[in-house]
Amino acid sequence: MIPQLDYIIDKILPAFVTFYLVSLGHSIFEKSGILNLAIDGVFFTGTGAALLGAILPIIYNIPISPPVMGVLVATLIAAILGLFMSSVLTFLPISHGAVGLSLQFFSYGVGIMLGYYVRLAYGTIYGVSFAREDVLYLSIISLVIGVVLHLFIERTKIGAAIRAVGENPHSAAALGVRVMAIRIVAGMLGFALIGFGGALFILSWQRSWDVKLFTLGYGWLAFATALAAGRHPIVLIPVSLLFGGLVNSQTDLQSRLGIPADVAKLIPFLAALALMLIYSTTRLRRIFASPSSLGKPYYKEEKSI
Amino acid sequence: MRIVLVRRKKPLKYGGLVVALLSLLSGIFVFTIFAWLIGVNPYPVVETIVTTFIFPGVVKDFIILTLLGYALLIAFKGALWNIGAEGQMHMAFLVSIYITLIVFFTTEKSLPLYISIGVILLSIVAAVAAGALWGGLAGVIKAYAGVDEVPVTLILNYIAYFIGDILVYGPFRGKYVYGYARTDLIPDPYKLSIPVQRQLSGNALIDTVTGYMAEFATYAVWLVALILVLIFTYWLLNKSNIGLRIKILGSNPDYLVSLGYDVRKTMVLTFMLSGAIAGLTAALYYHGSLYRIEYPLEYNTASYGYLAILVAWLSMLDVYLVPLSAYIVSAVILGSQRVSSLPSVREAFTRLQLGGAEMAFKLLMFGSILLAYSILRFIQDYELKVVS
Repeated sequence: MIPQLDYIIDKILPAFVTFYLVSLGHSIFEKSGILNLAIDGVFFTGTGAALLGAILPIIYNIPISPPVMGVLVATLIAAILGLFMSSVLTFLPISHGAVGLSLQFFSYGVGIMLGYYVRLAYGTIYGVSFAREDVLYLSIISLVIGVVLHLFIERTKIGAAIRAVGENPHSAAALGVRVMAIRIVAGMLGFALIGFGGALFILSWQRSWDVKLFTLGYGWLAFATALAAGRHPIVLIPVSLLFGGLVNSQTDLQSRLGIPADVAKLIPFLAALALMLIYSTTRLRRIFASPSSLGKPYYKEEKSI
Repeated sequence: MRIVLVRRKKPLKYGGLVVALLSLLSGIFVFTIFAWLIGVNPYPVVETIVTTFIFPGVVKDFIILTLLGYALLIAFKGALWNIGAEGQMHMAFLVSIYITLIVFFTTEKSLPLYISIGVILLSIVAAVAAGALWGGLAGVIKAYAGVDEVPVTLILNYIAYFIGDILVYGPFRGKYVYGYARTDLIPDPYKLSIPVQRQLSGNALIDTVTGYMAEFATYAVWLVALILVLIFTYWLLNKSNIGLRIKILGSNPDYLVSLGYDVRKTMVLTFMLSGAIAGLTAALYYHGSLYRIEYPLEYNTASYGYLAILVAWLSMLDVYLVPLSAYIVSAVILGSQRVSSLPSVREAFTRLQLGGAEMAFKLLMFGSILLAYSILRFIQDYELKVVS
């Protein structure tokens, strides 16, 4: 095989798929107007749930491939968290940020509880991870998901409703959109994708899991990725490629350019800042603007009492 | 029949306290279910959590979190979501370290008082300036380039961490650290904490009271700073022209334009004030308790910068409620640490082959109480009604 392809399969694609799915889920979630500061916690819960799920077929002899089961369990648990967060924040006029951050800490705990037993009992997880070449299919699947979601948001009624609810939930409700239902759809879909990304993070990229994983802050980097791409599913593709590549080639950058490790760690964050500055000062700004009701507590005045 | 949410005509009486108690109860309830599920006797768990609220060890976190809570309160009043207190603190640390460990480094055990005070003051002023500049940088990017401030401050946190990492690994690495990547300890004359010796009487009540007094005496300088910051914040937000501008910025920026003020400059100023208090807190924390910084830097502050966001939000941006929510958050942190090291909890984790995962317990408890608190805040201004 050509060496460049090896490099892409081993280094670029696993990181790309993870970042793409997590930031895609985050984008969908925030399009509905709910500020998502729980991203890093949900991401970590996804990794723990995936580990647990991947072991289930082995323990119970279920005829399903272990990594696929891992992905299913991770998306399911993340979607439940999404259901909780979006419904609570739509029903009650409370701070999105405070709920998100508390949920983050809570889901760090859930993630440890889910993954720790497997980590101790089985140690290495190479046996239940995706094969090396599978990352090609996973990339294609995630690209398809991205394109479909883009069309879903831009072309369908539900997609339009998600955007409307993010811009102004009151007007949307007046036009007959059911704010609660729409936000739940966006919330579950978004968090499920974040869980999917978390599952691939350990089953296809790292192939190991540790309690301390949540201190890496990759969820937050995906947060920055999503914003650097203006929450646009298609623009996210090159941006996550760039970020995934930057994160995963740090060691190469260090050795090739002869720079210290911490300078190399700086580069993805500087790149994110630079991208945001570039699009904010150009015409792209209007396309990439945040939903205008992002993070605003929603309270529907009752007229009938 | 359905349940609807109605705004109260008047906020609930003693709402802050009611919400705090109710959310503690429900958070602890949720958490004890977890404990019970894995076979831990809930009684010592609940007892530990409750007693942490009258535990002297809370004082340190309480003071730091209140100070940072005020730093963020100012920015949040202007609807500027400053997630960057961590970064602002770290830039301040670096400046304080440069002054105390590089420029005025000494191996003397004691120096004339005026030199000590002079160096400490210089370090604090420089830290305030550094925090203000790092906050101001976020403000400039937000105001003049129009980039959303949440990701900007978040990214600036990481940039500050890594700049610090580079410095601690390189020029700031100490001479007496046995190869560890960390700075030297701060020289004794520059320490701000007052060592207090106390004797235990054996009586729990008396020991708790003397414990609080000892903690407050140890951090007396912090306490003075806390009172000054409280007065300053109150004056700024309620009596000053700048505070009025910040509040208008938060509610209706267009109005600020028609009043003839520069919205952009107000944004930068708000961020600088917020960063300045974060920088002050960092200097106090470094001189009074931290004494050195270590590689990697993000572990130095125990996520104070992020916890302070919770403090500010949970206070509902009320100047008087900031200390209350800071106290609750710090008691919950400490309580969760104490619970996860209870013998019964450790034993249950070992039995379940989860030995070493006590951290999960800490995070679950901390998360469920804070989640309950964030959600139940609505009771103060709204009520649930069942209508047919």
